[in-house]
Amino acid sequence: MSADPKQPPSALATVSTGSDATTPSMRNPMPVWIIILLFVLIFLSCVYFDTQGGWEPIVYRPYHSVREVELYQPPPPDGPNLAAGRALFEQQCGICHDNSGAGKPGQAPPLVGSEWVLGSPNRLIRIPQLGLTGPIKVNGQDYSFANSMPPIAAPWSDEDLVNVLGYIRQAWGNKAVKTDPITVQHVQAVRNEVKGQPSTTSDALSKVPAAIKK
Amino acid sequence: MNQGPIIFLAAFLALAASWFGMVLMPQGQVGQLQTTNTVGPVPTAYPIGMPGMARQGLEVYRAQGCAYCHSQQVRQSGTVCDVELTEIGTNQPAVIDALKKTVPGFNPQSANQLLTDLPKRITTGITKSEADAEVRALRAGGAKADVWIVPVGPDIARGYGKRQTVAEDFLYNPSVALGSDRIGPDLANIGGRNGDPNWHLRHLYAPRSEVKGSPMPPYRYLFEKRRITHSISPDALAFRAEAGVPDGYEIVPTQDARALAAYLTSLRVDAPLYSAPFSVPPPPPEPSTNAPAGGTNATPAAAGTTNQPAK
Repeated sequence: MSADPKQPPSALATVSTGSDATTPSMRNPMPVWIIILLFVLIFLSCVYFDTQGGWEPIVYRPYHSVREVELYQPPPPDGPNLAAGRALFEQQCGICHDNSGAGKPGQAPPLVGSEWVLGSPNRLIRIPQLGLTGPIKVNGQDYSFANSMPPIAAPWSDEDLVNVLGYIRQAWGNKAVKTDPITVQHVQAVRNEVKGQPSTTSDALSKVPAAIKK
Repeated sequence: MNQGPIIFLAAFLALAASWFGMVLMPQGQVGQLQTTNTVGPVPTAYPIGMPGMARQGLEVYRAQGCAYCHSQQVRQSGTVCDVELTEIGTNQPAVIDALKKTVPGFNPQSANQLLTDLPKRITTGITKSEADAEVRALRAGGAKADVWIVPVGPDIARGYGKRQTVAEDFLYNPSVALGSDRIGPDLANIGGRNGDPNWHLRHLYAPRSEVKGSPMPPYRYLFEKRRITHSISPDALAFRAEAGVPDGYEIVPTQDARALAAYLTSLRVDAPLYSAPFSVPPPPPEPSTNAPAGGTNATPAAAGTTNQPAK
């Protein structure tokens, strides 16, 4: 094929009326760069559709959007999730307080029937959040330990702390969760109040007002 | 006429584009999937890797070509909501008033009959906003009611699963036998529907003895037929008369048959996920004992109440 690119387009019309009708298209084949440009455009449009089209890998038919999937999530259970609280308690708190909540000699006081657990939420939330140093009186008995309690709940989410406190307030015969539940709002309020404070003591806790500041 | 480079370039571009579109982009979209948590009252890790026996069974499943007649994908055409009344409270007239306002076609004469045998689904198949409005009205009347999320669709009506299958379900499958034809039923949730490995073994040996009129071919070569000499082997299967096992013989499954049954009973799609939600009943209240709970292996992330999947 000896196509002459310099041939003016007007010449094509005269040739096409001639005997060889296929000649004009053979003389001016579609440039390769147009084909490449077409591929690139198709690819870019696919990428655009993929990233900007509201497509989410987590959304399956018959749902259409993340908002719709979110709408159909089962509502969270009322009050603390005691099963989750129990799991976290037995993983982290039970090492010292024992999974039975009876405490361990030389390590931690009991939680069963403890006035600190069943009493004011404002004081109770501070204990795992800040940690506790020094002696403490529980169930009329004085306890003092070589090591202080670490601020174990400081990295937990508000929900985790609510779940664990809800669990220890109703487990092992403790009965507090129904009458005076600790909510996420309580935990947030106390956490904002005690931000940056050092490890607390039982004397300091006794001076904290029983009711949570609104 | 040397068109070689152009043909090469065009073929290269076509293959590169399909590789980008069908391999690279999906890898970016769902290749990062990890073990996530189920949603619901007790979040647990999902999915859990296949046990070794089931892993061997997957190879048998592939080798026997089960995927030619059985699919492993449950489809879902929509999601509806039910309202379950759990407690009527003390103010019954207010609750009946709320039902009159929110439930279309509510007949006050049948109220007494409706409000017995609680908990009960009092309204079914409505949208989420209607269900929320109804629950709000009932709670204002002092009753306790919950919204239940119910997936619907032909496959779910057939009992193939409680929800549709999503990519997470196949996370630990080294090869996914999705299947496309359904000469037999869908097997995505067969372990949840029938978790008895002995039933599966009997069904593999003699399908029509367990399912009347089953078109499935028997897989007798996965079993050993032995003459009973002294006593029956403890591994021998207890067949019905229809299976056609002659007197004086016993049928013992081979390792392949056992692995296949273990694989089939391990197939379960019955956990609610963030991407495929549905309601499950809350766990029964645990007695206050010191026995180790089933939930002790939950991670701190699993203990959180966020419904977001692990990124």
